[in-house]
Amino acid sequence: MSIKGAALRVAVAAGLHPTGRFSNRSPVRVPYWLLSPSLIPLVVIVFIPMLFAFYISLTGLNQNTISDWTHAPFVGLKHYLDGLEPNGPLAPSFYGSIKASVIFSVATTLFILPIGVGAALLLNGHIRGRSFLRAVMLLPYIIPTFVNGILWRLIFMTNTGVADQLMAALHLGSRDTFWLIGPRSLWALVLADVWASWPFIYLMALAALQTIPADVYDAAKIDGATPLRIFGRITLPLIAPTLGLGIALSTINHFNNFALPFVMFGPTPPDEVNVLPLNIYVNSFITFNLGLGAAMSVVALLIMLTPAVVYLRAARIGDAD
Amino acid sequence: MAHLFDSRLTRRRFLKVAGMGAVASVGVPGFLEACAQSSTGSSTGSPKPATLSLYIAKDTAHPQQQAQLMDMIKAQFEKENPGSSFTYDTYASAGEETTKLETAAAAQEGPDIFEFGSTLVPTANATGAFEVFTNDMWNRIGGKGIFFPPQLTMSGPSPDKLIAVPVSGNPWALVHNKAMLQAAGISKVPATWNDFIDAAKEMTNGTDTWGTAMAPADGFDPWHKIWLFVTQLGGQLMDSTGKKGLLDSDASVEACAFWLDWMAKYKIAARQDAAFKGADEVRAFATGKIGFSVMTGPGGMATWDSSPVAGQYEYTLGPTVPYGMSSLPSGGKPAQGFVSGQYYTLFKYSKNPELALNLLKVVVSPEIQYQYFQLRKQQPVVLATFNKYPELKQGNWGALYDAALKAYPTPFFAAWGPLEVEVGKAINKIASQIAISGSYTMSDLKSALTQVNQELQASLS
Repeated sequence: MSIKGAALRVAVAAGLHPTGRFSNRSPVRVPYWLLSPSLIPLVVIVFIPMLFAFYISLTGLNQNTISDWTHAPFVGLKHYLDGLEPNGPLAPSFYGSIKASVIFSVATTLFILPIGVGAALLLNGHIRGRSFLRAVMLLPYIIPTFVNGILWRLIFMTNTGVADQLMAALHLGSRDTFWLIGPRSLWALVLADVWASWPFIYLMALAALQTIPADVYDAAKIDGATPLRIFGRITLPLIAPTLGLGIALSTINHFNNFALPFVMFGPTPPDEVNVLPLNIYVNSFITFNLGLGAAMSVVALLIMLTPAVVYLRAARIGDAD
Repeated sequence: MAHLFDSRLTRRRFLKVAGMGAVASVGVPGFLEACAQSSTGSSTGSPKPATLSLYIAKDTAHPQQQAQLMDMIKAQFEKENPGSSFTYDTYASAGEETTKLETAAAAQEGPDIFEFGSTLVPTANATGAFEVFTNDMWNRIGGKGIFFPPQLTMSGPSPDKLIAVPVSGNPWALVHNKAMLQAAGISKVPATWNDFIDAAKEMTNGTDTWGTAMAPADGFDPWHKIWLFVTQLGGQLMDSTGKKGLLDSDASVEACAFWLDWMAKYKIAARQDAAFKGADEVRAFATGKIGFSVMTGPGGMATWDSSPVAGQYEYTLGPTVPYGMSSLPSGGKPAQGFVSGQYYTLFKYSKNPELALNLLKVVVSPEIQYQYFQLRKQQPVVLATFNKYPELKQGNWGALYDAALKAYPTPFFAAWGPLEVEVGKAINKIASQIAISGSYTMSDLKSALTQVNQELQASLS
């Protein structure tokens, strides 16, 4: 292709030339053509499987029909009704899982927020060994989730685990405190996930802090603002958009966390930590009830739209358009 | 062809290129598959050399020995089938096992041979993705008659529809710590659950030593125990059609209550056991903290033989008379374990079924079967092995042999998998309650069992 030809094509693509091959196309459509390399894989990898998942949720796909899954019997909304109707046979398990997932994701996010922001504020200043400390802070985040799960399972073992030994030594509790069963299992899970995920908020906050110009702080100091006032009036408002994004993404991530509860509690977890992804996994891959598992996935997707909307709104904050 | 890549992209050109791509993507794999299938050896004569693939359970207690055994099998197979070999991949959890099964069944593509535990064979059978062995196929590997008869009861839904070849056994028996029993002044291993509770109480001091242990947080132990007690009581966990769950029946409630009462009422097991999995119970026995380990397979031996209880433990048949009774009730069975073990199945979509049969023949040869015992401490399933190697019927292995003979098959229902999970959920819930408060009520137990039975029923309908 000649340079002249290439230039002409770019001009046409940009909608600058009124004649040529694309002359009958509106310039508005051009960005969509340019997006197609990413849109097509998105449709193939995400949207088509989602449609399949929805279709499967309307079928009785199980071990008897898996070899000929396209002919699995159509059961309509049975799985949805079994799980969502208040008196449905699966309602206690389904609503219990939704409750467990919501509490787990919201509680974890609430805990990691101050920890992450605090660490970012600390390491945004000029302190000795800052580079080293910044690297160390990321350690929990880069440890594989299943390793983290095993580690915390050992920590929370009744009687022999570090948690019970420590509580007994500090006279804060009995050596026979149960963390892996019963109501405390939720807090064990939250603690383990807080430890593993707070660097995410730390990274987001640190990145946002580094975009604030130093002269803003200088001006505030000249005006006699206290550190607390500077944080409340300058730092927090300026990092809020990024933090909002971080909170939304964090909530979604925790809600979808499967590996940690699975490794810590196995396929028959206590009710308190029977989170939705675990319930879906057990139904789909342990008991072969794939239709039900798909229905639960669809409902989970709908629930996750809430923080997703928050995420989208957060992503638009600061957008001039 | 070059004109297709001309710089000017029109709708027609785009459709031409895309159409060719689509045809290629659909057609080429089909063509290659057709070529591959046409090269598969026929059912007569020697199969064409190929490399088989196996998907087998990982022996976490003997990983090196398992690799050694697979090398021996491979050497023998390659010797008997020049030019052929096999590769294998392992799974370490039930989740991996079922996920692979689902994927292979749905895609109609996967390993030539799958290994399953006995209670997953019904599920595998339901998928229809495995070959039903004909008499000719059985004869190719030595005939049905070479196997330990109870093992074949879990090979398929009926004798003429067997899909799974037994490769090793995992009989269940009662294990006791001889020193603890002697110290408690108990001279006879209990034959009834009343005797068991009394003996266990004698060995319990409530701090360091306990009569027994439980593993209610395990994925399998709860249904093992509940099945045992329900069967002895004359009940069932699912009706004979496999369409109706009976987890909330009187027999099921009584069975669950009896097991949970080891912690709550008789206090022969520590409350900490509520968070135990099977491996925790094995460790507790290894440290000499518990006197009995109920319904235990040979898997614990690897740990115990290198622990303070080495040489101090003994396998015997377990109690068969329900608690509070002097003999079996009407309909009750003297079960003390179910038919258990590992099975190899032949994937229906295998391109080398003839060669796979040759491999199965090697695996069930008496010499290789003996190596299952020697290297992996698993019970062989081929009768000739027991005749050739007398140590397989002596000492603890003698008791396990008796246990295998007296084992009862679990119902061959595809829904047995969901049932296992539901029993575990109910037991786990009440065990947690006991751990925290020290007790539970029968109404709590009944309510938990009713709930899980409803869930089971929803998955059956």
